[in-house]
Amino acid sequence: MTVAVTPEVFRFVQYDAAEIAAVVEDLLGRLGLAGTRVALDVDETTPLTRVVVHEGDPLRIEAGSGALEDTRVPRTFSATAAQVNVGRVLLRRRDRGGAAFAGAPDDAGLSLAELAAWDVTCVGRLARTGVRVHADRWRYNLRNRIGFTDATDAVFDRLWTTDDPSWSGIAAACGAVTP
Amino acid sequence: MRRHLPASELARDERFHTITMRDRMADPRAGRGRFEGDNGRRSNRLTPDLPSASEAARSMMHGIFVGEIQALEGAGRTCFDFDDIPFALKLDMARQAWDEARHVEISVKLSAWMGTEIGQFAENTVLFEAACSADPVMRLAGVNRALEGLAIDVFTTMKAFGELAGDPFLEFCEDWMLADEVTHVKMGSDWLRRLTESDPQRRAAALEFQSVVDKLFSYGGTRSDSDESMIGLARRFRELAGFTDAEISRIADVSDEALSEAKARKQAARAGAGA
Repeated sequence: MTVAVTPEVFRFVQYDAAEIAAVVEDLLGRLGLAGTRVALDVDETTPLTRVVVHEGDPLRIEAGSGALEDTRVPRTFSATAAQVNVGRVLLRRRDRGGAAFAGAPDDAGLSLAELAAWDVTCVGRLARTGVRVHADRWRYNLRNRIGFTDATDAVFDRLWTTDDPSWSGIAAACGAVTP
Repeated sequence: MRRHLPASELARDERFHTITMRDRMADPRAGRGRFEGDNGRRSNRLTPDLPSASEAARSMMHGIFVGEIQALEGAGRTCFDFDDIPFALKLDMARQAWDEARHVEISVKLSAWMGTEIGQFAENTVLFEAACSADPVMRLAGVNRALEGLAIDVFTTMKAFGELAGDPFLEFCEDWMLADEVTHVKMGSDWLRRLTESDPQRRAAALEFQSVVDKLFSYGGTRSDSDESMIGLARRFRELAGFTDAEISRIADVSDEALSEAKARKQAARAGAGA
């Protein structure tokens, strides 16, 4: 097992550390990152959905408990939510390692539109690995960021289907439709 | 057909998961909102510049959807549960049930437009619980004035959200539903006054019940005049719905109180986490 989850026992939410570790381990395999050592720290005192990655060995991931939560049954774990929310940040990190993203700002420097567009490429790729996603959720987020237009929908379709995203492609897509 | 149905027996298919206000309050993380944490932002009001705006809007829209179902059920039950209320009141409740049914349909379509599946978020049955009183006057206070009053606040916030985001469907639909809600509140205010005209004690008890429900609906500081709340108090539309200035001020006070309590809980939670 290359994934370690803390805390080992949850008190605020009904999560199981071993189950979370198994889901993330499986996710790493789906994303071609098998063998990567990951330390996942879940902050169970907050329902926030934020997930942050810190470089190192092991790779340290901090997640609010809301990022792994089943919104249908509060305080219970959702493998799908974990796959989507952890998967997005893992893919973004993987993208950053390639030459195509050499000029990308760090996460704090991304605009909401750029982040939304990047998320579209990540979730589209997650869907193709078999993760259950709802495309319209991400389409709506992109529309909120760059406009409720046909041009936005065309950008969405392009970003969703690409397996080789690039920073220039994401930035251009946002710039092309931002009013 | 059975009269006076409890919330636990509402008909729902397998897509829905219902929770009660007690469940919500039992969440030890409750001091912190699910969509907070947008550092550096002075306001918590739901606007598109919030990093979590899309998710928060989808969650709120789903809350509206299940709220509309419960409002439909509440108005329908009031129509059916009592023999000793004026027929004109039953007609008004029937008309409201028809409005709510239309709102449910609109909400389903808006939710799909926003990328939400039916049942994707837990359904809090607190709205229907306010419609379970054995006294129709209490129902008018709890549902038409408190619940539908909250709907005015929520729809005003969502309409503004749609307008700012440039979402033509959201803005348009919220505006139309808002117009209906103003009518529902007005209807409740008129009937409450009429039915308690010669019974000041009953009226006082109903208004007290409304105040309790208003505070429940402000739980967590979600709705208040303050920018620290996600939903604002829609004073102008409340005036149009027949709330007096004094009544609006009272709701504002109750909401502020709920916000202060939420902040105190949050502080205590942080202190506990740091200990």
